Amino acid sequence: MSAFGQVRLVAGREMSTRVKDKGFIVSSVVIVLLVLGLMVFQLVSGSSTQTTTVGTVAGGAQVEQALVRSGEQVGTEVTVVELADEDAARQAVEDGDVEAVLVDGAGDAPRVVVESSADEAAAAIAETAVGALSVARQLGEQGVDLVAAPAISYSVLDPDDDGDTTAVLVALLGVVVLYGLLILFGQFVAQGVVEEKSSRVVEILLSTMKPWQLLTGKIIGLGLLGLAQLVTIAVIGVVGSLALDVVSVPSAVVPTVVSVVAWFVLGYTFYAAVFAVAASLVSRQEDLGSVLTPTTLLLVVGFIVSLQAAQDPGSTLATVTSFVPGLSPLVMPVRMAAGEAAVWEVAVAVLLMLVAIAVVVRIGGRVYSGALLRTGGKTKLREALAADRG
Amino acid sequence: MLEFDGLVKAYGENRVLDGVGFTVAPGQMFGFCGSNGAGKTTTMRIAMGLARADAGQVRWQGTPLDEAARRRIGYMPEERGLYPKMKVVEQLVYFARLHGLTAGDAAAAAQHWTERLGLADKRDQRVEKLSLGNQQRVQLAAALVSRPEVLILDEPFSGLDPVGVDSLADALLEQCRRGVPVVFSSHQLDLVERLCDAVGILARGRIVASGTVDELRAAEAGRQLRVVVHDAPNGWAGAVPGVRVVSESRGDTVLELAPGTDDQAVLAAALRAGPVRHFAWREPTLVELFREAVSTQEVAA
Repeated sequence: MSAFGQVRLVAGREMSTRVKDKGFIVSSVVIVLLVLGLMVFQLVSGSSTQTTTVGTVAGGAQVEQALVRSGEQVGTEVTVVELADEDAARQAVEDGDVEAVLVDGAGDAPRVVVESSADEAAAAIAETAVGALSVARQLGEQGVDLVAAPAISYSVLDPDDDGDTTAVLVALLGVVVLYGLLILFGQFVAQGVVEEKSSRVVEILLSTMKPWQLLTGKIIGLGLLGLAQLVTIAVIGVVGSLALDVVSVPSAVVPTVVSVVAWFVLGYTFYAAVFAVAASLVSRQEDLGSVLTPTTLLLVVGFIVSLQAAQDPGSTLATVTSFVPGLSPLVMPVRMAAGEAAVWEVAVAVLLMLVAIAVVVRIGGRVYSGALLRTGGKTKLREALAADRG
Repeated sequence: MLEFDGLVKAYGENRVLDGVGFTVAPGQMFGFCGSNGAGKTTTMRIAMGLARADAGQVRWQGTPLDEAARRRIGYMPEERGLYPKMKVVEQLVYFARLHGLTAGDAAAAAQHWTERLGLADKRDQRVEKLSLGNQQRVQLAAALVSRPEVLILDEPFSGLDPVGVDSLADALLEQCRRGVPVVFSSHQLDLVERLCDAVGILARGRIVASGTVDELRAAEAGRQLRVVVHDAPNGWAGAVPGVRVVSESRGDTVLELAPGTDDQAVLAAALRAGPVRHFAWREPTLVELFREAVSTQEVAA
């Protein structure tokens, strides 16, 4: 069987066992629900327009128009219902069909019927409408003709700015998801490595393949799973937010989401390799925390810097860290979304990341194969490098 | 032939293997004995590519073992290796595929071996839920599932009850009949003596004795004769020239004969002393051979 055949078998096992794992299923469902929940929350809190229904008796088109207009002034959408007489009006208010009824709005003795004095908003709209009608009528009687105010045209100096703000927001959300997935799947890789080491399965595995094949298969298998999860979240997020009108600028969202996914691939490969190598140094799950902490801290730093970068994408900190391998996957998407990163900058950051991955895989691969067959306690990095299948 | 040739391995100052060499023929069951820390596991790990020898090599059919050849070896590590959370049958299929079987063949082989080793009703259970004995069977199935050309088993019998020992022994003998060379290490020397065509005794990084059990016996210097004479007085044999009395108790005597001594003269003396109930060369057990071989080595070292 070819070298790649073994890698594929390892990757396949990683995926199939993880997909069947209850913890994984639950966490996937929770993440999808969180994304959906976030959108619904955004939708509800974002739509500040309120609605109210106001009835009229002996109103007419003029009164209706005045009511709608005065509602607009306070950001309320007014639906007007014409009622037969005052009795019907009282009934409608009592039944809760309307919040207030304006009787004889255009006449000399306008009255407002409300359920209680608490229904101020609707009553205030009615009052404003009556005022406006009265002014218009008096002006009309004086022979003043109201000329509609001229329409204002806007000169927008930076039409992209709106899109950029949305994009930064999307990038930030993307980075939150990316950070979570990097931690989650990094942990999966690390746990898998220790499981194989502590159960000694690794002895059987390594009698049929080389350590790098095992390492590569593990990283690819879990990586594909992580990628699938991220893409699912991205698709739900993009389609959902466009469909629900949470964001209105698809051109700002889609490229940002694509860049987050691409940076996930780079970031995951880097961190998964580091996590796997670190995990290979210990023999028990209990010891895992101590060897993973430095790498986890790096991730946390990247995350915090990316939050800061969202506030001020042009800052020196954001600019510098967006090139640092390990931090770049979290910071660069934000800078890219803000339109602060030139193409060459992105290219350099990607290149540096690729170099870092190559170095980690090369040196890490040696540590991994040196440490994998040493059990009992914690293997020192130097010992592992020296042992390398010794 | 499976040849272990001049294996040398040192961990720092500690020379674990110092030129280990022996040969296992196809269809031969080779028992690998030695005290704790003698280097048995290291020898097997070198064969499986899990440790690198400083010198020497392991050959199968004349070619040094490489990755492809190792995939045709069934291996059972000393400290068992199975995924605790994987189901029995999935695990076996996975190992079979890693050893190069197609998906279909692997599934069929997993089916066959679970049935053969009495695990049919445990197929869909996770390994961690099984009893230790059953885990051991799964481990054996994992070594056999790829239809290996060679079997290398590190302490396969440890932790098994007598029934488990018998069924494992049967399975191994069956493999031998197929022409598979089987190498296994064990501390249970009576078992090795019963099962093995050939034995290798490892002490301090060297093979101090190897061959069939009979060959080892023949090589043993100073042959002993046990004679039981009913109601014979003590000291009846002392007068026979070339005979040294090793032990004597109520007519049951063990004698050591100098080379060239006529055993028939001893028999005649015994008959003169009384009715002879037992007269035979005493076969040293493997345990005695082992003690002898290891202690000689220890003295030499």
